[in-house]
Amino acid sequence: MAPGGLVLAAEEFTVREEPYYLPLGDEIELFEAAFEQRIPVLLKGPTGCGKTRFVEYMSWRLGRPVTHISQGGEAPLDDEGPRPFVTVACHEDLTASDLVGRYLLDTDGTRWIDGPLTRAVKTGAICYLDEVVEARKDTTVLIHPLTDYRRLLPIEKLGQVVEAADGFLLVISYNPGYQSALKDLKHSTRQRFISVEFTYPTREQEAEIISHESGVDLAVSVELAKLGEKVRNLKEHGLSEGVSTRLLIYAGRLIERGIEPRRAAQVGVTWALTDDLEVQRSIEEVVTSIFE
Amino acid sequence: MSVAGGLIARNRSRFDGFPEPLLESYEASLRALEPRLTPTQLESWSQGGLDLMAISLRSWESAAEYFKAGPQLAEATPWDTYEQLAREAGDLTEQSAPLAVSFLRSAPDTLSHIGPNHLAQWADFGRRLYKGNWKSSSLAAQFYDAGPELFSTIRVSHAGRLVLFLDELARHSYELAAACLTSAPDVLGRLENTDRMPFLTFGVELAQTSWADSRLYFDRGVPLIQRVHGPVRERYLTLAAQVARDHSRSVFQYFEDAAHALGEVEPDDHGPVIELAEQLAPHSAYAAMDFISNAPEVLEKVRIDELAAWQNHGLGILASSKEGGEAYFRLQSSRGEEVLDTLSARVELSKVGDVLRLYAKALTGTNISIHASAVLTEKGIGWVDEERASTDGTTIYLPEVMELYRGKEENFAAVKVFTTHQAARLEFGSFSFSFDRPATLFEDLRPTIPEAPDANPTTEIERFFDLFPDRTLASDIHKIAEGARIDAAIKRHYAGIRRALTRMQREELGRRPELSELPLRQAFVENLLRVSLDGLDAVRWPAAQRDTVSNGAAVLQQLMAENASIEDTAEATLRLYQLAMSIKNEREEGDEEWDSLPDMDQEQLQLDMSDLGGEGAAMEMGEPQEGDVEYESPQDIDFRGDFKPELVQLLMKLRDDAELGDAGQISPEQLTEEQLQELLEKSAEIDLDTLLEGDLQNTTGMFLSNLLKEAGTPTLDSDAQSDQPLSDLSTGAEEGEEPLAPIVTTYYYDEWDFRAQDYKPRWCAVKEADLEEGEDDFYEDTLKEYAALVAQTRKQFELMKPELFRKIKKLSDGEDIELDPAIEWMIDIRTGVSPSDKVYWRRNKVDRDVAIAFLLDMSASTDEEIARRDQQYDDSDDDPRKYLSWWVTKRRQELAAPPKRIIDLEKEATVLLITALETIGDDYGIYGFSGYGRDNVEFYVLKDFDEQFGETTKKRIDKVTPIRSTRMGPAIRHAIHKLSETEAKVRILVLLSDGRPQDHGYGRDRTEKEYAIHDTKQALNEAKREGITPFALTVDRAGHDYLKTMCEDMGYEVVGDIESLPRRLPALYRSLTE
Repeated sequence: MAPGGLVLAAEEFTVREEPYYLPLGDEIELFEAAFEQRIPVLLKGPTGCGKTRFVEYMSWRLGRPVTHISQGGEAPLDDEGPRPFVTVACHEDLTASDLVGRYLLDTDGTRWIDGPLTRAVKTGAICYLDEVVEARKDTTVLIHPLTDYRRLLPIEKLGQVVEAADGFLLVISYNPGYQSALKDLKHSTRQRFISVEFTYPTREQEAEIISHESGVDLAVSVELAKLGEKVRNLKEHGLSEGVSTRLLIYAGRLIERGIEPRRAAQVGVTWALTDDLEVQRSIEEVVTSIFE
Repeated sequence: MSVAGGLIARNRSRFDGFPEPLLESYEASLRALEPRLTPTQLESWSQGGLDLMAISLRSWESAAEYFKAGPQLAEATPWDTYEQLAREAGDLTEQSAPLAVSFLRSAPDTLSHIGPNHLAQWADFGRRLYKGNWKSSSLAAQFYDAGPELFSTIRVSHAGRLVLFLDELARHSYELAAACLTSAPDVLGRLENTDRMPFLTFGVELAQTSWADSRLYFDRGVPLIQRVHGPVRERYLTLAAQVARDHSRSVFQYFEDAAHALGEVEPDDHGPVIELAEQLAPHSAYAAMDFISNAPEVLEKVRIDELAAWQNHGLGILASSKEGGEAYFRLQSSRGEEVLDTLSARVELSKVGDVLRLYAKALTGTNISIHASAVLTEKGIGWVDEERASTDGTTIYLPEVMELYRGKEENFAAVKVFTTHQAARLEFGSFSFSFDRPATLFEDLRPTIPEAPDANPTTEIERFFDLFPDRTLASDIHKIAEGARIDAAIKRHYAGIRRALTRMQREELGRRPELSELPLRQAFVENLLRVSLDGLDAVRWPAAQRDTVSNGAAVLQQLMAENASIEDTAEATLRLYQLAMSIKNEREEGDEEWDSLPDMDQEQLQLDMSDLGGEGAAMEMGEPQEGDVEYESPQDIDFRGDFKPELVQLLMKLRDDAELGDAGQISPEQLTEEQLQELLEKSAEIDLDTLLEGDLQNTTGMFLSNLLKEAGTPTLDSDAQSDQPLSDLSTGAEEGEEPLAPIVTTYYYDEWDFRAQDYKPRWCAVKEADLEEGEDDFYEDTLKEYAALVAQTRKQFELMKPELFRKIKKLSDGEDIELDPAIEWMIDIRTGVSPSDKVYWRRNKVDRDVAIAFLLDMSASTDEEIARRDQQYDDSDDDPRKYLSWWVTKRRQELAAPPKRIIDLEKEATVLLITALETIGDDYGIYGFSGYGRDNVEFYVLKDFDEQFGETTKKRIDKVTPIRSTRMGPAIRHAIHKLSETEAKVRILVLLSDGRPQDHGYGRDRTEKEYAIHDTKQALNEAKREGITPFALTVDRAGHDYLKTMCEDMGYEVVGDIESLPRRLPALYRSLTE
């Protein structure tokens, strides 16, 4: 983990330590290939299943010195050092200017400040727009020219166009589950990305993840993973989203800190998931069946 | 000459002018009495009679009876009594000779019952009834006449009370009194002696307060009172009498209901129940009686020792609010139900079904419904026991009520164990057996056993069972083995439920039958069952069978290991069956000891296993042997419920076929009826005899059609949700001939009782149906008639249409800097003032997210005309010609435009509203309501929320007519329900009515408004609580007052005529939606 108190400009942030990531399929190879070809990536999947962690991991992986074995022998291909990584969590009121930049008032007039996207484009960072459908439609104006062969970011207010630096890659994520049909991603947008689907890990994989991330022993994490699996069965029947791996890890951490498993599952899963009393009660019953 | 002779001679002349027989009886009397009485006494006796004769014109009749009575008195009668009789006779004769006649006529017999000492009392009783008129005289006479019969059953003290009762009745009706008197000996005779006094005491109270019920009481009271446990009857009657004293209404009804109720309660519990009721009586006698009347219902939910807690809670309410308490004990209050639920230890499926459904769904990952077992047995597809849990593969069936334990939590834990076991069958694949799939733990023996060459099994499991000559035994063993496997899997996977399951297993073990009384093979199976319940310690076996039993136990233990599959269960079944067949089913005659199994460690078990595996190659399926006792299946285990894999697999297959059929595909191997029939006949899971009655052919036919029906209509998930509306009328479209009946859906709502300050639970039934369609003329005509208004309204609403984006200024963060604040900022900086950082602007999207429900009052009262102001004739001028001309004008107006009724105004307003809403694009629903009584609130849909406006809606408006009453509360509640289902942010409920809620039973009587108004107001409050803005639009000027009460702090508006609507509407709408 990075030392605390460090203040960095958005484009200076890099993932320095290897984040824990358990590959569920061929997503790593896919991403690497996409990166090499600078093809934008869309990550689809339910909340808390590891999308963000994956991008972080890939950013680290792609940023470490890679030695490429070429025909002529070993030659360092990429020695730029750690790769900058910019994350933007999108929300309903996120407008294009929030991404590109805006004028600030200064004592002597106005001063332009670059937004996160502009910075990523300039430095050649991996820019991750989390939950992109939440953002306003005017952001697509920016995404489109950046994601095709042009790789350009128009800055309207400055009357400029920024060409993306070589390492720049746009990664967006999207959770098809809970957004209403209104907020579906438009085809003109989604067909600019290759799409990697994320699902919940299998019980064994999830147990391993929980155990690693929370520190509880495998026996407990297997039970937690089992709980996750059972609760996910309720999706669309009382629950709009299944329980995320993240929540299960939290529950695991509480258990690790000495909280009684049933209680940990209650606060970490049951109450965290829903306010519907009946569904809560049902999950509660599953919890009390699994944990002693 | 004898004394008698002397007296006769002396007095003969006094009989002149009287009928001859009088003298004769005088003579007979004296001669008969002469031996008993002294001369003086005889003379005195004679004188008494002569005196009677002299009293009045007809008094000689009583004298005649007097003379007859004397000799009839018992020999030992003391002289005092004669004298007394004479005195009473004289006294009575003076009042009424016929009365005295009756008295004297029955005196000898009566005296023989009551004894001489009570003569005076008896005479007094009669006198009390006599009021000097003819009717009372005949009643009193009847009383004397009845003497002998009456006193042969009751005591004098009882008679006193009876007379009080009769006297009271006689004040109202002599006929009634006479009738009661006639039946009294019989009625009282049927009662036990100790019950008579209280019975009569209550009668007196009844006569005083509601005398008309007395006849009923006398006719029906005795069997009723006998329903009450003997020792407490008196207390019961005292209690009932208190109702009579406190209230005069429906006294007998209360008495009857409560007595009936007590009849359903255990006699030993009558004491406590009545004692609790007695505590209530000082507060409200009604509450006390209702408490008794409802005791059986309450006792279904709580035990007798918990009853006090429930009563106590109600007592608290009663003390603070009489109405509230009475509603509580009438079981018409939500609070009462809640308390009952809290106290009740039993768990009702209807209450926990939804939770269990989601629980089972979570466990299995499939859409499971939860139903009561009775639902399954009603289907007639093979399950017969209404009390047992089971599953048919898509639904888990559970007993309706769980009350095994004394605590609610324990009972719920039990239900959960039941559910988990059924769910685990689905989760761990009990029904997915495949004959050819290898087992995971056992060596496969299945392929080694020859199958019948001509067999054509329908299902995999049927094919498996076909291997066994004794299908019942195989089925039993399979059931035990699978139970063992499932229980073990549950314990392994669900640590949290382990304890409850183990407890139930131990309890089952405690209930098992005595082993040594069973024939050996059955004892073996029974031992297997014990092992399956984790009860190795409960296994008992004769030493000779030791190996067999321990081998069997080993096989089961293997099945309890991890990874055991349903195929392992099958393999285990094969082995266990073989073991069972190696034992003769006969009783153990020798005095061999039945031992328990020594502790077996895992190693030993493994060892035995391999022994078994060795036999595998030469698997022999034994045949039943000679000399065997007929095999009987072991007693079932409750928490495992019924297990019918053959049926379930068959059903699943049929369902698959049905689905394929729906998809236009034909299953490659469609089942034939013969196949099914064969399966049913041989399967051990179906007991055709108990399933249905009638001949076998018929039965199987019926059964088959049930099965096919079941498979053809797969249970939908929504069926299980109890809050889903129950459809009570289906479309009668099967024949395709009849017109479609409207689909009526019934919803239940609480009603607010302001007196009790509590809801009456599920009090009103709202029946929702689409309104009939008429012509669209009305709609079009209205549009034409009010063309100008329509245009105006449309324009107004178009103006309201929101701009999609609105620029919001003065923000601290935004899209761009706004010029004005930026200049100010600069100025502030220059002048050294701290500047405001709110210099940005941003475009915000304005979503219009409104749903509005219109509720039209379709009650009969909307049939009234709306009085127009100018139609009032100004009376100040007396000129008749003026009046005539006014009248003519009025007539002409009326002919040109018939007077407008409230409903017309409502309809026109609706048309205008539709126009407006279609312009603005908000989501809206239009509903009408009427009905009669709480069980029939009609709710008509003109346009539902998700429905598009179109021809249907126009045609439905035409059919809006005044129908019946106005029960506003439930209609509003249903509209709230409709609104809460929409996802709009702003939700509005507009009530268009004449402002007068009124219905049968909506208040104490039809004229009482308070109850209705309070309920309506409460319903409107509920709307507010749900985040819905209620608004009442009334078209009735007189309604003003009611609405004011109903809408204290809510919006309401009176619309006098439609012309004012368009002016008001947009403003109104804007204020509501913004």
